[in-house]
Amino acid sequence: MHTFDYIRLHSLEEVAQHLAQGPGVRLMGGGNVLLLAIRRGEEAPQKVLDVKTIPELRDVRYHHNQGLKLGAAVPLQHLATGLEVRRHYPLLYQTAQKLASPQVRNRATIGGTLAWASPVSELAAPMLCYDTVCYLWSPRGRRDVPLHAFYLGDFRTVLMEDELITHVHLPPPPQRSHGVYLRQTVRHDGRRMIAATAVWAMRKQQNLTRWRIAVLGVDDRPKRIPEAEAALEGNPHPEDIQRALEIVQAHIHPQDVIYARADYRRVVLNALLQQGIHQVIHQLQSMRS
Amino acid sequence: MKHAISFILNQEEIQLTVDSHRTLLDVLRDDLGLTGAKQGCDTGECGACSVLLNGVVVNACMVLAPEADGAEILTVEGLADEEELHPLQRSFIDHHGVQCGYCAPGMLIAAKALLNRTSRPHEEEIREALVGNLCRCGAYPDIIKSIQVASRARR
Repeated sequence: MHTFDYIRLHSLEEVAQHLAQGPGVRLMGGGNVLLLAIRRGEEAPQKVLDVKTIPELRDVRYHHNQGLKLGAAVPLQHLATGLEVRRHYPLLYQTAQKLASPQVRNRATIGGTLAWASPVSELAAPMLCYDTVCYLWSPRGRRDVPLHAFYLGDFRTVLMEDELITHVHLPPPPQRSHGVYLRQTVRHDGRRMIAATAVWAMRKQQNLTRWRIAVLGVDDRPKRIPEAEAALEGNPHPEDIQRALEIVQAHIHPQDVIYARADYRRVVLNALLQQGIHQVIHQLQSMRS
Repeated sequence: MKHAISFILNQEEIQLTVDSHRTLLDVLRDDLGLTGAKQGCDTGECGACSVLLNGVVVNACMVLAPEADGAEILTVEGLADEEELHPLQRSFIDHHGVQCGYCAPGMLIAAKALLNRTSRPHEEEIREALVGNLCRCGAYPDIIKSIQVASRARR
């Protein structure tokens, strides 16, 4: 492997000092992406900065009025085991069970996974449904970016050269909500994704409202389809669902991959979405009013 | 860059000097002679290099050696207690969980991680726990059975 200097960091100030020294510096969380890229010769950093050792990036805080704040270096496995996640963000909890493997989840971090910005990033689907906000930090200050505006497509994000994600924030979950995550992949560990979707909504009196539809594998980034969400608002009838499905199809741009053609990915997404929407409606309507 | 690191490996304290870019797997196999963890895919997909790092299962090929500083590590060599095999090892032998054997060290460590947090896993939990461990012989049914029997035998 290409040689570099590994440095453990203990504060954000140290991150800033190293990043200011110019290119050739890369941040590392779990290293699942970075070490592979170095091994393949796609990256040749002079310094690899381990940010997992910065205490504030390991924070996990839940408060019923404020929601859940997770440090960027919290491992994905926490999302699959944390009691506050299981209880208050069940869609995130259920999705996290399916992320890669225990070996990968124990190392991969929330911040690293989001910053990689893969179009098939399964973590993004529930996080988009829960209106997650990313806290970005640089020596110039902090800014908050909603996750849906964080992605620029093709593995690019709004992160500047000297910026990193420090935390993600999930607002308090409303009562009487339900979400499902459905995926079609070639491999059982989630690799080789054909398409996936997370569907979420809440019930307010007799209405089903605040619909969220997140899709993966069918565009250059994980994305929500707000126009289709709007079509489901209220108490969706079969023709509303049909219209929402058509809107989704008009807003995606799947690519051919070796294991699935673009038109097949469209058909798969449509089937998953239809199932997801019906499951959410059924669950919400069967809750006692 | 050189790093003087120390860690607990199979309950024994280890001190050595490593380069930044070497992996924990390199150090285990090449410097310490513990060849139980295998270098399978070297991309974090096959699980043949699974070890416990501070009690959780990781792929040693995806951990930098200097990251092990201060950690506690368990490899397959540390499973047995002196002369006595670990119940998982005994069960893998009795129930044919080992065919060619290449994946076995990783399977054993992944199973150990599972049993550390769930004493009586059901079949679905075992399957989920092994999702990161590939067996090219396709011995999965016997591997799952071996783990099930071992978990029942434990107090």
